[in-house]
Amino acid sequence: MHDPRRIEAFLYDEAAFLDRPDLDGWIALYTEDAYYWVPAAEDQADPINHVSHVYDDRVMMEIRRRNFIHPRASSKDWPVRCSHVIGNVRVRESTGSEVIEVSSNQHVVVHYREEQRVYAFKATHELVPTGDSFKIRSKRVDLINPEAPQTSLVIYL
Amino acid sequence: MQSIPDRNFDSLVTPTRLHRSLYTDPDIFELEMERIWGEAWIYIGHESQIPEPGDYFTTNINHKMPVVMIRAKDHTIHVLHNRCGHKGAKVVESRSGHVRGALRCAYHGWTYRFDGSLQKVPNEKGYEGTGIDLSDPCYSMQSLAQTSSYRGFVFATLSESAPDLETWMGGAKACFDNLCDRAPEGEVEVAGGVLRYEHACNWKFILENLNDTMHPMVVHESIVKAAESYIATLPPEAAEQRREAEIIPPFGASYEKFEDSGITGFPFGHHYDGGKTSIHSGYAVDPDYYNAMVAAYGKERSEDILAFNTHNVLFYPSLTIKCAVQNIRVVRPISVDKFVVESWSFRLKGAPESMLQRTLLYSRLINSAMGMVGPDDLEVYRRAQEGLASSASEWVEFHRQYGKDLTQTDRIVGGGTSDLDMRTQYRAWKAYMEKSPQGHIRHA
Repeated sequence: MHDPRRIEAFLYDEAAFLDRPDLDGWIALYTEDAYYWVPAAEDQADPINHVSHVYDDRVMMEIRRRNFIHPRASSKDWPVRCSHVIGNVRVRESTGSEVIEVSSNQHVVVHYREEQRVYAFKATHELVPTGDSFKIRSKRVDLINPEAPQTSLVIYL
Repeated sequence: MQSIPDRNFDSLVTPTRLHRSLYTDPDIFELEMERIWGEAWIYIGHESQIPEPGDYFTTNINHKMPVVMIRAKDHTIHVLHNRCGHKGAKVVESRSGHVRGALRCAYHGWTYRFDGSLQKVPNEKGYEGTGIDLSDPCYSMQSLAQTSSYRGFVFATLSESAPDLETWMGGAKACFDNLCDRAPEGEVEVAGGVLRYEHACNWKFILENLNDTMHPMVVHESIVKAAESYIATLPPEAAEQRREAEIIPPFGASYEKFEDSGITGFPFGHHYDGGKTSIHSGYAVDPDYYNAMVAAYGKERSEDILAFNTHNVLFYPSLTIKCAVQNIRVVRPISVDKFVVESWSFRLKGAPESMLQRTLLYSRLINSAMGMVGPDDLEVYRRAQEGLASSASEWVEFHRQYGKDLTQTDRIVGGGTSDLDMRTQYRAWKAYMEKSPQGHIRHA
């Protein structure tokens, strides 16, 4: 069993990269076969046969990372700053699997285009122990309002 | 503030310029809702969303008027005003679902058949001798003035006098045929959910942007460069990654490529770019899909279908479709500076599921509010919305290739980087607002 406080601390570290935001540091927390998923429906079973707000593998994460700092990306001309608060962390480890499933409730305030916007979601991470820390194999962001009209969001949650 | 004319809009729309108040004046917006959205055929939904009697789908037909599309027991489709005939409450609240027996108002329990007719009023004896005639349609859930569908796509209009749907679509109808003919079984169905994207700007910006081929290489330069620089790092064996990433670079196609694709305009404001070629024509064709097409249609007909390659088709003012990607976007204004776009995807019946998966991949990358293309488009619309508050000039211009459009029997054709799309939609805008006829191409 892993110390839950170390797992929580790892989630805080990930959030700190997104709060700044520092996508170079953030993407280094992910495995090469990782994906990042924001479903567009409640309890969405499938990222392939149903549309999602985001379903990025490493390819798309690499493209977004490059786009995020590109001088001609006009939607990124505006400063983006986030504040993540993470709670209700629950860890599920199963024998015979190296993958640790971690769920948490996250409230994120995003400052963008001179507005403050609130996103509330359940995050589900699959973590793989790596050295003395972890890597993220997948992160699923289940918004409490996945079917509501969304406005532009240019940063990962 | 520019005063709003009643029947002559020459002071707001010229062949090459628009007055800025079209984007900023709430009174013009309200008049648009009455004269354009109240007169045109508005896309409601697809028949496949309501396969069984009692299945329904709700939306608004303009900025606020709620309607419900429902399948009746005889399998006919009805588009009804979503309003109880009693106190006016909305009867159906969910976005979609199924009702058994009858529609029932949550307030006083009046019930309606699926064709909207009044079924029962609780404790009806209280109305005896009051002079009310409950068989008067005003006490039912009333049908829209006209409802019609073409190959499963359901439209309705608030106008008694609108021409029939196929006349109104004109030559742009061929794009619905192409979308459906791309299915080996000749039919499509809604699949894979919906994305809703709120835009804090005037609804006309997105219509103007669809076939504005002078913007992609500027607005989407960063994402194209990001994708290309990443693709360049991929080893040769990374075919899957390359296939996924290659959906992006066409958005940065050159001026010459867009010019060659051409723009075609029709009466009532409809238009498309592409035809023989478009930015979508470079996508690889899945061999299983190709074989299914050839089995259904034969080689020659299949290749004709796949060769008709439009980019965006606008059915002015509420619907834009991408035949080659099996994806549609539905526009709904909310106020002078706010609208919502819904992106729906379609399964090609008889095609491999990989075709639907490609459509969904496309939609989440391009149409999502968290995508890599849509936010840059919205950013420039919002800058236009904010910039047009300036009194530096009263006008925005659209002169590109003015005087060079070619008028044919039922359509006008021009260069792919021309402003023919603007001329087409604002000819319709003006005709709707002036209440003048527009069923034929006027020779310039």
